[in-house]
Amino acid sequence: MVAFIIRRLIAAVLLLLIVTFVTFSIFFLVPRLAGASAEDLASRYVGRTAGEEQIHEVAEKLGFSDPFPVQYGRFVKGLVAGADYSTGPTTEYCPAPCFGYSFVTYNPVFPELLDRLPVTLSLALGAAVLWLLAGVGTGVISAVRKGSFFDRAAMTIALAGVSLPVFFTGLLSLSIFSYKLGWTAPGGSYTPLQENPAAWAYDLLLPWITLAFLYAALYARLTRAGMLETMHEDYIRSARAKGLRERTVVLKHGLRSTLTPILTIFGLDLGLLLGEAVLTESTFSLPGIGKYAVDAILTNDLPKVLGVTLVAAFFIIIANLVVDVLYAVVDPRVRLA
Amino acid sequence: MKRRPGAITAAAGTTLVLTLALAACGGGDDETSTGGGGSVAEYNAGVGKIFNPSDVKGGTLRMANAGDWDSLDPADNYYGYEWTFNRFYTRQLVTWAAAPGADSLKLVPDLAESLGQASADAKTWTYKLRKGIKFEDGTPVTSKDVKYGVERSLDKDVFVNGPTYFNDFLDLQGYKSPYKDPSPDKLGLKAIETPDDQTIIFHLIKPFGGFDYFAQLAATTPVPRAKDTGIKYKEHVVATGPYMFESNQLGKRFVLVRNPNWDQSTDPIRKPMLDRIEVALNVNAEDIDNRLLSGDLDMDVVGTGLQPATQGRVLGNPDLKKNADSASQLRLWYTSVNPDVAPLDNIHCRKAILYATDHTGYQNAWGGPAGGDIATNMLPPQIPGAQKFDLYNFESKPAGDLDSAKKELADCGQPNGFATNMSYRAERPKEKATAESLQQALAKAGIKLTLKPYPQGDYFSLYAGKPDYAKKNGLGLMTNGWGADWPDGFGFISQITDSRTIRASGGNYNLSVKLPEVDKLLDDAQQQTDNAAREKIWPQVDRKVMENALVLPGVWAKTLLYRPPNLTNVYVHDGLGGYYDYVSIGVKK
Amino acid sequence: MTAPLDVTRAATEAQPEAGLAGLEARAVEGRSLWRIAWLRLRRDKVAMAGGVVVLLLILMAVVAPLLVRLLGHPPNEFHQNLIDPTLQVPKGRWGGITWEFPLGVEPQNGRDLFSRIVYGARISLLVAFLATVLAVVLGTTFGVIAGYFGGWVDTVISRVMDVFLAFPLLLFAIALAGVVPDRAFGLSGDKLRIALLIFIIGFFSWPYIGRIIRGQTLSLREREFVDASRSLGARGSYIIGRELLPNLAAPILVYSTLLVPTNILFEAALSFLGVGVRPPTPTWGGMLSDAVRWYTIAPYFVIVPGIAIFVTVLSFNLFGDGLRDALDPRAR
Repeated sequence: MVAFIIRRLIAAVLLLLIVTFVTFSIFFLVPRLAGASAEDLASRYVGRTAGEEQIHEVAEKLGFSDPFPVQYGRFVKGLVAGADYSTGPTTEYCPAPCFGYSFVTYNPVFPELLDRLPVTLSLALGAAVLWLLAGVGTGVISAVRKGSFFDRAAMTIALAGVSLPVFFTGLLSLSIFSYKLGWTAPGGSYTPLQENPAAWAYDLLLPWITLAFLYAALYARLTRAGMLETMHEDYIRSARAKGLRERTVVLKHGLRSTLTPILTIFGLDLGLLLGEAVLTESTFSLPGIGKYAVDAILTNDLPKVLGVTLVAAFFIIIANLVVDVLYAVVDPRVRLA
Repeated sequence: MKRRPGAITAAAGTTLVLTLALAACGGGDDETSTGGGGSVAEYNAGVGKIFNPSDVKGGTLRMANAGDWDSLDPADNYYGYEWTFNRFYTRQLVTWAAAPGADSLKLVPDLAESLGQASADAKTWTYKLRKGIKFEDGTPVTSKDVKYGVERSLDKDVFVNGPTYFNDFLDLQGYKSPYKDPSPDKLGLKAIETPDDQTIIFHLIKPFGGFDYFAQLAATTPVPRAKDTGIKYKEHVVATGPYMFESNQLGKRFVLVRNPNWDQSTDPIRKPMLDRIEVALNVNAEDIDNRLLSGDLDMDVVGTGLQPATQGRVLGNPDLKKNADSASQLRLWYTSVNPDVAPLDNIHCRKAILYATDHTGYQNAWGGPAGGDIATNMLPPQIPGAQKFDLYNFESKPAGDLDSAKKELADCGQPNGFATNMSYRAERPKEKATAESLQQALAKAGIKLTLKPYPQGDYFSLYAGKPDYAKKNGLGLMTNGWGADWPDGFGFISQITDSRTIRASGGNYNLSVKLPEVDKLLDDAQQQTDNAAREKIWPQVDRKVMENALVLPGVWAKTLLYRPPNLTNVYVHDGLGGYYDYVSIGVKK
Repeated sequence: MTAPLDVTRAATEAQPEAGLAGLEARAVEGRSLWRIAWLRLRRDKVAMAGGVVVLLLILMAVVAPLLVRLLGHPPNEFHQNLIDPTLQVPKGRWGGITWEFPLGVEPQNGRDLFSRIVYGARISLLVAFLATVLAVVLGTTFGVIAGYFGGWVDTVISRVMDVFLAFPLLLFAIALAGVVPDRAFGLSGDKLRIALLIFIIGFFSWPYIGRIIRGQTLSLREREFVDASRSLGARGSYIIGRELLPNLAAPILVYSTLLVPTNILFEAALSFLGVGVRPPTPTWGGMLSDAVRWYTIAPYFVIVPGIAIFVTVLSFNLFGDGLRDALDPRAR
């Protein structure tokens, strides 16, 4: 068991390195392959009245003139051992892990990422709890009352939820609930948890519900399908025959085995969500890492994009790892290579 | 196949327009004198006069920015709104008067006691600083601090965004940057002399009659060398203005509070009312509009006005319209007509384009009459000395003058029209709409346009602004826009008509004008120290460019600014470029 | 990009035996699986409705130019005369719906919404379908190979799938779309962007199918009929081609049908964020992105593309669900 975990950990680290390499290559290599010179790249990051000389200096400063392996080497070294940057009058040390400095604002990327991470985490975890409860709950009830009005209505709504783009529902709900009716907070509101938990929850209410609606729909369908299968197993029949209450039968026996695969998907989704918060954060203007990345992409600010990609990949890999381990723990038949 | 809209829709449309016209007429009484204003909210109450004048101090102004600053460091910012906001926490040698209307176009001494004293050849300029001005920590401001501020702004390695006027005009003699300065006090730039703590003298490499305009640039903000941390200085800029930074979370928000070491007796310009200013960054643009209207936000700091959809909402609702101001932005949206691309090397083909353009369509692309006035020539009318003239029947035939266009086509040997490409910035819906409108309009004269969108980040550096690229890719028409760095002919017209600013390496804004007569006129203007004489030269430049049909003017931009009714002392400041003068604003309790 | 496929992926992975038992039995019986499935599908009214809508949509996308020529106006043509100059909204009621403009016109420029929706369908469906095909081809190939051969082949392929799954998909797609210049690989303009979209979406979603197919293959290869073939001397390629693939056909079909709507949403998201096909070419996501800011004074402009996406995705989901129920022997 321990050996298994260690093996997976090593694999995870390797994975992270590969992701780094691929991401870095794409951002720094593709424009070169398409024929852009170092100066062409640098001209994006200079002021409006820059001359040739200035463009050339910026190309040097940002490292575009160096060959690709050198740039990548510098990046990895920064990640592992930190790097030095000139601020003008002095030199500053950027401690490991150093994701470099923004091409546009020259602020260090890693502290900004750390700063924004709690927002994304708040959004993801809050929505996750909501959707798990709502989705699984609805799924169970639907399965138990299969064919009833509740079942049909719930499954139809669930199908609708899965078929609508999240930015559409998000923007529409913002317009209606925040601006027209004033029930929920306007876009861009975020209060950190430690400052004011009540305000924190209020600000995130609409984003949570919007996001949870989408996933709850998925989980309701999943749970229902899973429960329907499980409820016809023999051991359910025996449990009923033993005279146990229906509620115990459903929840303790039926749900338990359905829950395992659902929880594994949940783990994976959570990991993905941390990397995919982009749409929700953009829709609601939440200052998380997703919006940070989108803003960065629009200004060609590659170190920021690189940073977010790595953090997101990190979460996905960790989530995968946890799920794999849990899976192995729960189901002794499974020993993944 | 053109079909007429139904009778009902026509009637509805007319009724709507009439109603709006009546509402507009009923609301405005802007014929009253400027300077004094009312406290009644009405449309354009802040244009040319002060809305809600008040002496009541106190309160917090909540502002938001849909993006982020270039930098809060005055050596590194270059947007009109940033310069307007600078007035909160910095002071320059001279600055704009804090008044509405035509008064806002006057420069007044700020750190200095009076406007600059010029030498006879306009190459040496002297200023004397007022006494008693201090930084936020109590240390006195000296001429050496101003010199240091200008010196560091020269370093385009560290501060990439700021303008380069000082780099171009000071007699640098090879000076690069105070960070590479071998002298112990880092004041090695000989082009600026500081014989004593109150005097500062600038030596230019070429004459420039309008140097006071340079003196109002953010670069002349004094910076204490002991606190200069280079690129990190923006984290806490040391204030000389009435407010200073209480907190600054880069990329998220910052807060300004009163600066106890700012002395009103040394500052006849600013009358700060507020206790506190809070600015949130990177807020969704639609959210900003919605929060302005709902009262959750006081001001959109970027000052480019409401989004098109919100504009419609505000203009259509009299209760909202009374809180709006239609501000002229001293900006021209236009299309460059590229003589490098055949057949536009022939002046008649270029004129054909100017005749055939649908000017109402162009205006609609920018939001209709609320988005701007149809521009018949280049210089916006507010620029001192500007003259309006119409060589191609823009106003008499706003839908386009097809007959004249066809005649010009015949003259240039293309009676059936020709084909060319038009570039625009992909992320800008208004430029997209402009390109599409031109495509439709010119097609009627037989001129076929193929539209080519380019990313705005590289538009000037790699595509439209790179002469080889434009020529090779047949970019005959290129959308363009220009707002003067300051409201004066030089600031407006030189960068976009001086052929000597055109660089082969790209990054150009002058995409089409290469006329030796224009270059000579611009040189004459620079030497001229007499303001009145200088102002006569700009319209001549304008006329020459228009006669050669190298520029197709679109609209003189206006924007719809929203003025929440709980604010006091709100007025549009033309000198700053059509923004509200933030430093004067107060809040009703 | 929302969560991965809405399928009982875990259920089938955890209990592959149970799910496949019935399928296997029918495979031995011959082609009657499909017959039975078709009969069951026909009885499912909702799924059939979904299927019909899907067919109609595809038809509409295919004959788009003809449709527009008959019923609408060129999708990029402005009609300023229909727009109120001050408010910038269409003059008519309901967003300017008339017989000439069945779905009204866009604010600000008066473009025919009907044409734009129809043309937008082309791009959305084209990208989604081709991306799905790419994902399915890659996923099936690698899934089967990994599942059948096992050992180090399986390890390598599984690790590769892990790498792909580790990338934050949407982020990567946005960044990639932003980095590629206007002219590359011999293509340019719209064609290049569409090809890029297909490649990105397909190339990054194959591991989802890959994992499922691998799981199915893993359990299938333990079946007796595979043993039987092997003992008869059949080679790997024969077994894969003639024994495994036909049995995998059902899940492949189901998951493909369910992958299409995910990809439609994905493409819409990319267009919404501004990295899809460039303007003025209409796409549903792009139209939504334009429309959002007009919501308060021109709500129909948001509703029309929103409903288009919704109906399309819903139909695919309904049909896919029905298909899965029809092919799954244990469903009621």
